[in-house]
Amino acid sequence: MIRIAAVGDVHIDRDVLGRFRPALEELPEHADVLLLAGDLTRHGTEAEAKCVATEFGGLGVPVIAVLGNHDHHCDEVPGVLAALGDAGITVLEGDSTVVRVDGVRLGVAGVKGFGGGFAGRCASEFGEPEMKAFVRTTGAVAERLGAALRDLDCDVRVALTHYSPVPDTLAGEPLEIYPFLGSYLLGQAIDSAPTALAVHGHAHHGSERGRTPGGVRVRNVAHPVIKQAYSVFNLAADNVSSSAASGI
Amino acid sequence: MNDYTEAEVQRALAEDLGVAEQGITVVRTEPGLVLCGEVESPHRRDEIVRLVHERFPGIEIAADIGVTRAAAPTEAEELA
Repeated sequence: MIRIAAVGDVHIDRDVLGRFRPALEELPEHADVLLLAGDLTRHGTEAEAKCVATEFGGLGVPVIAVLGNHDHHCDEVPGVLAALGDAGITVLEGDSTVVRVDGVRLGVAGVKGFGGGFAGRCASEFGEPEMKAFVRTTGAVAERLGAALRDLDCDVRVALTHYSPVPDTLAGEPLEIYPFLGSYLLGQAIDSAPTALAVHGHAHHGSERGRTPGGVRVRNVAHPVIKQAYSVFNLAADNVSSSAASGI
Repeated sequence: MNDYTEAEVQRALAEDLGVAEQGITVVRTEPGLVLCGEVESPHRRDEIVRLVHERFPGIEIAADIGVTRAAAPTEAEELA
């Protein structure tokens, strides 16, 4: 069994420092890895990222993150990445990492993702350059996520995004803003590989559980949705490929 | 208060760097508006109310904003 802790949208700044720490101190008792599903900072300054590093660094388990839209707002992404990297937090964007848990290789592929909407109500690559650029951005990001998932050499695959790959976990949000909360292209990318679990944030008023059209379980771990420091998902043995289970 | 003011309040909450909140719902009521949602600290709740009072001085505001709990989970979800 692999135990995955996850939370998104923690929006850390100085005023939040220490709030998560008591729960994080006991995290290694409950989980083997912590996933951070974007919007780590309030508006994407290097100073806020240093607060994230203080709060989520040195946990004793690997911490793997993607950035969110808030983490881009002040155009300080290089400084944000440096601060997180200095704390040993792995930040994914179109790539992946593998963590070994009791001999099982857990592969996590991640992207921030982007919007565009869902089947029947999605934006199209048509018309003004701005509109085409918007849709192309999501398409390119989704392609990178799919490639990263398919290329993983591991026993269990998990997809980590900030934007949602399905509309299910947006239930509770106004329908009018769904196109700004996610894209079916991310779901299609997740379904292109044998993914065991997809984790995202971004939708503060959304709901916890959903499923891609291909049957991959999706969990919205935005902090205001889960209302706890992190959620823990225990992936049972039948999510682990037969080669890993048999020790080959 | 009309639609345009409601939109201005919503945008101010997101775009003011001292607030930067996209998760607050603005509900129009007869005397003014109610701000609903969750934030990460009491300070942020106070900043939201202060900002709206300052930018929209004529509007009566009620705040129903909670601080998101950050306790350790009491149970895990088993994914068979």
